[in-house]
Amino acid sequence: MQQEYRSKSYSHIIRIILILIAVVGVGVVVRAMVMPKSFGEFGHYRGDAVVDEINRPIRNGTNASCLVCHPYIRKMHMEGVHKTVSCEFCHGPMADHVKDDKVIAHLPKKQGEEIKILCLRCHNQIIRARPKESIKMISMPKHLEDQKVRIDHNCNQCHNVHAPLMWVNQAKAIVGAGEDSK
Amino acid sequence: MSPEHGAAAATALTNFVFPNDLHVHWSLMIVLYPYITGIVAGAFIVSSLYHVFHIESLKPVSRYALVFALAFVAFATAPLLNHLGHPERALSMMFTPSATSAMAGFGYIYSAYTVVLILEILLIYRPTLVALKQTSSGFMQKLYGILTLGSDNVSEKSLALDHKIIAFLAAIGIPMACTLHGYVGFIFGGVKANPMWATPLMPVIFLLSASVSGIAGIILSYILIKTFTRKAIDMDCVRTLIKFLWGCFILDFVFEMLELFSHAYMATHHWEALRELYFGPLYGTFWIFQVGIFSVIPFVVLGILSLVRLPDIIVKVVGSIVSLMILLQVLLMRWNVVIGGQLMSKSERGHTVFHPEWLEKEGILVSIIIMILPIVFLFILSKVFPFWLEDDPAVNKQSA
Amino acid sequence: MMDIIQKEMSRDRRAFIKNVLGGTIAGSLLLVIPAGAMDMGNIPEQIPGMRDDSGTFISKKRKFAFIVDITRCIGCGSCCVADKNEYQVPDGMYRTWVERYVIDDEDNVYVDSPNGGLDGYQQPRKDIPHPVRDTFFVPKLCNMCEHPSCVQVCPVGATFQTEDGFVLIDDKRCVACGYCVQACPYSVRFINPKTKTADKCTWCYHRVRKGLLPACVNVCPTQARKFGDLNDKESEVYKILHQPHVVSVLKPGMGNKPSLHYVGLRREVV
Repeated sequence: MQQEYRSKSYSHIIRIILILIAVVGVGVVVRAMVMPKSFGEFGHYRGDAVVDEINRPIRNGTNASCLVCHPYIRKMHMEGVHKTVSCEFCHGPMADHVKDDKVIAHLPKKQGEEIKILCLRCHNQIIRARPKESIKMISMPKHLEDQKVRIDHNCNQCHNVHAPLMWVNQAKAIVGAGEDSK
Repeated sequence: MSPEHGAAAATALTNFVFPNDLHVHWSLMIVLYPYITGIVAGAFIVSSLYHVFHIESLKPVSRYALVFALAFVAFATAPLLNHLGHPERALSMMFTPSATSAMAGFGYIYSAYTVVLILEILLIYRPTLVALKQTSSGFMQKLYGILTLGSDNVSEKSLALDHKIIAFLAAIGIPMACTLHGYVGFIFGGVKANPMWATPLMPVIFLLSASVSGIAGIILSYILIKTFTRKAIDMDCVRTLIKFLWGCFILDFVFEMLELFSHAYMATHHWEALRELYFGPLYGTFWIFQVGIFSVIPFVVLGILSLVRLPDIIVKVVGSIVSLMILLQVLLMRWNVVIGGQLMSKSERGHTVFHPEWLEKEGILVSIIIMILPIVFLFILSKVFPFWLEDDPAVNKQSA
Repeated sequence: MMDIIQKEMSRDRRAFIKNVLGGTIAGSLLLVIPAGAMDMGNIPEQIPGMRDDSGTFISKKRKFAFIVDITRCIGCGSCCVADKNEYQVPDGMYRTWVERYVIDDEDNVYVDSPNGGLDGYQQPRKDIPHPVRDTFFVPKLCNMCEHPSCVQVCPVGATFQTEDGFVLIDDKRCVACGYCVQACPYSVRFINPKTKTADKCTWCYHRVRKGLLPACVNVCPTQARKFGDLNDKESEVYKILHQPHVVSVLKPGMGNKPSLHYVGLRREVV
């Protein structure tokens, strides 16, 4: 075979090394271009991510924020036994209702059977996993039978949903019965 | 995959899976990824047994094993990119790798290992490629021109330099191949939240089963390719490979069983949940298939093939079958670890179910395609890098 | 009996509002959030001490704690509803959920969580073979660990721990590899199919940083969920954690040191 070669004995090694350096160089340049500026500001993460999370729109208000605009319900709700129940649990989040200080849509009011299901989510005695001291529990339709009421009645025919004992106490006052009687 | 054992009624009643545990997040793609890198690592070890440890009988497959490894390493990222929710951000792992995350090591370990592998192939094959450049034309000639890096120098001095570099690459290639698959084992072994995965033995088990799958892959493909191309098989090479396969498999099987046995013996509170798993949904895939059929039988058969002098035809046929069984065993092991480990809920009270679909994004069809692609690529590579020394036009001058 | 509980609950609420009005926010009586900070009118603050003298919110090194009182949870699912509304969580994914535990006479434990408790618990468990001796509800959410496993394993730095101790997720960097989901011992993380990134409860960071309670704490009708800054010695959480309550965390053996504490935690709970 020929003894004369066009390339030097080591030129392929040089080329390999150059290619590797070029690849690493391209990598470093690309990294500098795509790295977010705030990365590493507080730790091994993008500092702006914290700001992004803070700026997430708030969707639920609080009861206080609902009652600012709904004073009639406010009086009933804040004086009744349901004052710890969230408005938005039954009606939906505030963000679906108010945007930029304007009403954008009306929140649904529960009707009919939906009301009974909602009440029983908390007050159903048949689900025995509830701590007995914290909440009054009844079972249906036994509760209606006990109260001598027709069993096709819905909860909100005797109980104002915003202040459940309001009408009950008023009825007792009319009848002249004491607070403790059934 | 199998009926529940034990008090089925009580288990069904008390079965509770955390709501977020119902879905198995790491599915077929994550089963395939360690499988592919395992085969790569194992094939590289076969090559290194010749290049570094000078096991002469493995010379016939020493170069083929490297090309085989290259064919599979080219597709190691495919299952991962398919799995990611945002594959376009995948390079973040190389730009901002987290120092505490085993998975962050992937970008650099994989890149470095692939570079070493490609360099080793180019340098070992260089005299062959130079000779082939002179005898080819058109596109192939240009391709060989690039692969030889524009150099036609195959003098003694040049080849001696190559030889030194090859020896160095082969030497560091072994720990790199071990890292390529060992870190995958640590990805699982470092997850304390999963009682099946969290063991220091996990990198060891993964590495041993990698070697086993690579050696079995070389044996099977060597016999099949030589048979279909009607060429002579070097039986000494095959017999040596089988012995190494047996040796590695003994270690692999022992560690796999040891891990399970330690859990059962120590019977910490995690064992309850693990036992429900191994004797419940995993009963079929683990005890019947992985252990019973695909571990015990190959264990015995490989022993016979290694210790008893049998006729060539038996070694070829039985050797091929048992290599296929080992390849399936390793795939089943990956399935049982990856998917089996996720079936157990972190509630320690139940397990969820997993049914792979044919046509989903990470489904069976995609998995089959991903496993076929390296084989297709291997075929293409065979047209560029001649596998066998007897086909090599530069065989008189080769240095390796 | 009910009245006494009611008085207790309203006292705590009054105390919060008193703090706001009484000026623990040094000198500032701001109840009006500057326009643009929130899209929805004026929401009075709920957490004292979130602002500095000039009225801007500050993030000094805080030590927030979340307490869940199992003896008060009634399984109504208000918390799950509020959470789903706040973050528009896709169906089948849960940032918080409520589990029901039923224990029978033979000490078998039956746990369920239909739809994560989102619809409340409308049916009792009808499949218990022996008489039931005890039942209770356990709300679950992110434990906000001091040594979070999820942050440790994230390969790209997409989940991280802020200076005020919250573990958050960067939606723009997460690749959804799923490693954090595997690493969390409490299964609070999931891959959100809409954003294709990891997701989890963040203790309503965006609300807390604006002085509001997390949505689930805000709606709980029985005060089973409590939230506050342990640096504030008047806060309820401080008092609870410094009294001889039986307070515990989930899976303490994992070494993650959760900032989520349970009052009345039962040994059957994992």
